[in-house]
Amino acid sequence: MAVSEQTIPKKIARPSRWKRLREGASILFASKIGLIGLVIVLFWILVAIFAPLLTPYGPTEQDYTAQNTPPSAAHPLGTDSLGRDIWSRLIYGARVVLVILPVSENFWLPGGTALWGVFLGLLVGSTLGLMGGYLGGWVDEVVMRVLDAMMAFPVILLYMIIIAAVGASATNVVLAIAIVGIPGIARLVRSLALDIRTRDYIRAAETRGESPWYIMFVEILPNARGPIIIDAMLRVGYAIFAMGTLGFLGLGLPPPSPDWGSMVAKGRQFILSGSPWAALWPSVAIASLVVGLNMFADGLREESLRYQ
Amino acid sequence: MAKFIIRRLFLMLLTMLFVSIAVFLITEAAPGNVARNVLGIHITPEQEASFLAQTGLDKPMSARYFSWLVGSDWRAKGKIGLPVTQITTEDGFKEWWAVEKDGTLIRWQMEGEDLISQRRQPDGSVEEALDNERWQVKDPAIEVERLEAYRAQLLENPQLTEADRQAVVQELDRTLDILRAEGQTQEALVAALAAPEGALEAMIDPETSRSKGVFQEVAADVSRKDSLMRAIAIYDDLSAAAADELEPSELQSMAGPLGKAADAIQDINPPVADRLRQAGESLKAKDAAAARELLEGTATTLNQLIGSLGDFVGALEEGDYQGAVTGLRDLSDPAKTPLDSARLAVLPDTLEVVGEALEDGSPEVSEALLAATESLRAGNTADARETIARAADMLEQTGWAIALGEAAQGARAARTFWGVDTQNHAVRWEKGTGKVVWRLVPGSGWLASTGGPAEYIPLQKGLVRGDPGLSLRTGRPVADMLFTRLRNSLVLAGIAFVIVMPLALILGLIAGLNEGKFLDRLLSVGGMMFSVTPEFATGIFLILIFAFWLELVPGATVFGEQAPWERPEMLVLPVLTLTLIELGYVLRITRASMVDVMKAPYIRTAFLKGLPYWRIVFKHAVRNALMAPITVIMLHVNWLLGGIVVVEVIFGYPGLGSYLLDSALFKDFNAIEGGAMILVAVAVGTQLLADVVYTFLNPRIRYA
Repeated sequence: MAVSEQTIPKKIARPSRWKRLREGASILFASKIGLIGLVIVLFWILVAIFAPLLTPYGPTEQDYTAQNTPPSAAHPLGTDSLGRDIWSRLIYGARVVLVILPVSENFWLPGGTALWGVFLGLLVGSTLGLMGGYLGGWVDEVVMRVLDAMMAFPVILLYMIIIAAVGASATNVVLAIAIVGIPGIARLVRSLALDIRTRDYIRAAETRGESPWYIMFVEILPNARGPIIIDAMLRVGYAIFAMGTLGFLGLGLPPPSPDWGSMVAKGRQFILSGSPWAALWPSVAIASLVVGLNMFADGLREESLRYQ
Repeated sequence: MAKFIIRRLFLMLLTMLFVSIAVFLITEAAPGNVARNVLGIHITPEQEASFLAQTGLDKPMSARYFSWLVGSDWRAKGKIGLPVTQITTEDGFKEWWAVEKDGTLIRWQMEGEDLISQRRQPDGSVEEALDNERWQVKDPAIEVERLEAYRAQLLENPQLTEADRQAVVQELDRTLDILRAEGQTQEALVAALAAPEGALEAMIDPETSRSKGVFQEVAADVSRKDSLMRAIAIYDDLSAAAADELEPSELQSMAGPLGKAADAIQDINPPVADRLRQAGESLKAKDAAAARELLEGTATTLNQLIGSLGDFVGALEEGDYQGAVTGLRDLSDPAKTPLDSARLAVLPDTLEVVGEALEDGSPEVSEALLAATESLRAGNTADARETIARAADMLEQTGWAIALGEAAQGARAARTFWGVDTQNHAVRWEKGTGKVVWRLVPGSGWLASTGGPAEYIPLQKGLVRGDPGLSLRTGRPVADMLFTRLRNSLVLAGIAFVIVMPLALILGLIAGLNEGKFLDRLLSVGGMMFSVTPEFATGIFLILIFAFWLELVPGATVFGEQAPWERPEMLVLPVLTLTLIELGYVLRITRASMVDVMKAPYIRTAFLKGLPYWRIVFKHAVRNALMAPITVIMLHVNWLLGGIVVVEVIFGYPGLGSYLLDSALFKDFNAIEGGAMILVAVAVGTQLLADVVYTFLNPRIRYA
């Protein structure tokens, strides 16, 4: 059947980049909670980026004359049991979470440990989800069974044995976060793919003779990005949560790296002897960052739902 | 419905199997050495091998997994020929015994070369008896091969006199002839072997044999007491193959003795004394290589100074008696060892120490050496040389006797026996394999035995029969520990659950009814804040507020022997932490569900009908609104388990989670597996429960 000229609608003008940005911002500013969250998260990102400028001390610099001191002019948040400046350790700790991934002693990648963990999980999880959702059949069956088994694994056990197996380091924490995140991401992407594959443009692409991989990654994935992005943001929160927990259990970055969780674990021993600072501040830091991220994601989700 | 549940239970078992294999593989791949974790980092390779053998860790992974899953006792039963059984003693210990045909419980131990049986009496006491009849001759084919190799070795052995060699070889050949004859029963073999074995046994002199054990210890003994010998020993240690593994603290502890040795020879040989001091300094700086280089020539000089007594002691230790005899003869020979003033200054002291050290091993030699020391000190070198020569002759005799005894030990046909030992293993004991092991047995001195346990099967029933095995870390049954820890965790989780559920559901309903208002905002944002804050941070805040600042309740839990509910004040903070984490989560789900339900058309209908507000809420909305939260909470248990681990660690609470964490850090296989199985059962079981509960709440759902 020939398609007449008139039935093809005129190309709908795509709103300019600036306009879309402004719309996004207006969504954001409509939610006070989301805005507060954004401010908290931005604070930590900025502090992490400019960490070396914000403190005269190194994160592992020890001062044996000032151990377990309360906040003072010299040390704004006090010092820990080895005389290390807590503020300095906090902001360098934020750096590891949000800005850099220390691969080895002399080599680091941009993008924080938590972000890399989520990114890696997204990469593998969405591939699995797309394969299950779009290809269907036995692929779907196998993928789903594997994911079910992974879901049945108690999360904390998975973390513990992954780290026990590969050793405690930043890259391994990334690996653990990614592996634990995969089933959830894959399920989400699969359900989105199941929905999108029935759309006309997918049929059109199939008729064009596009390869399944093209359809999965170029047609389906970009159209599923909204929920994936919000989910990913929540997942960054989980990842920071997980990083802290691993550090607290002694499975995080090896000492003396500034790791919030292990700072709390170390400082905890000195609470009842009268020096609560070393445990308090990293707890406040991780709580504020995770709460901030969640507030931001919540705000975004609520407002974007309202606009739909 | 029943079919659905059965299918799900089957899937749960499948998941547990999958998880157990995964845990096994991952733990296996994990770096770290269980033996070192358990016994400490200073264990010798032999100790490590023995630990691995006794715990069954030397077996291939598949065999270990299989034993863990379905037990190893049936395998042991086949080997032993008697059924084995596990009993619980009056003290609550689990013990494995073999069961004889008449029902008596029996197990064995090996003392020296004797097999001793222990029979358990009905009153629980144990009767011991010599049980050497049970020894079986090892497979003749294997034994012939071993003895032929042994024969070739004997012919080369320089420690034996020609006459002794011939005597042993003659009996060995008789033994070989008997073994080579085919198709004999055990009884016939044993009877035939009695003659050559009797002859060989007669060649073993227990008294002289005992000396060997002492000789092996002489070097250590001497170097403890004599600074020059110690310096030589240090050089040997540094140049040994394993020198790279020496700890810095060990290196530093070597510096002191070197200084002492330097003081001892300061007047005689100042340059060597200087080098010793420099070596000491390098060791203090942890530079083993430099110290070795400095000591290289120095050790030889020292050895010459003390008349090659260093070589003499070394030869004794290695069992090279003829070498040791030659050393002594050299010392007595004026042409080979001129007794100049330098030697006379240090030799008597070292000789005295060596003489004293030999006292237990060979009193005559010791006496002669001490007499020679006296003569040297008196300046009577001729007498001294004569006495040393006499000592050499006596040592030669002893050396021949020891060598003959050893040669005879190994020339017998080896015996073997599978039984149950006193440490819950099935063990294959061996004796007469030619490997002579010297052991210090309290009360009877050094005893030689040619064998001992050669193979272990740790006895266990296997998980499917309710036995998760022994903890490698504590050696106690995992099941006992798991029970206490699981109970403690359940108490914690249970109390938190009882508090959280009603509170969260009510607050969630209130928030949902007030959607968008201030109260809703407060509750849902507050709930979110608590539920996303990591447990350890919440725990720290609570400790700071309630234990540190207000000093209301303790900030850590110490139960000792008591059960958690006997110290309720210690439970307050752990429960509160868990409550806060879960409260927010359940509250938010209930709220969302309530908001949805209140927008449903049937509620609007109820309003339009003019029903009173509270009646609509309680009679129409709540039941439907609670459906989602109850099932979601069940699914959330998996996540909650992680929270419990952290809470247990924060407060030092002796629960399952902290047990699992410790076990994971220790690579304690059985404990990790046992804990993991419980966690999986809880996680999957609650998911099943959620599905079942959901069908009751929502009649629209049907499971095929």
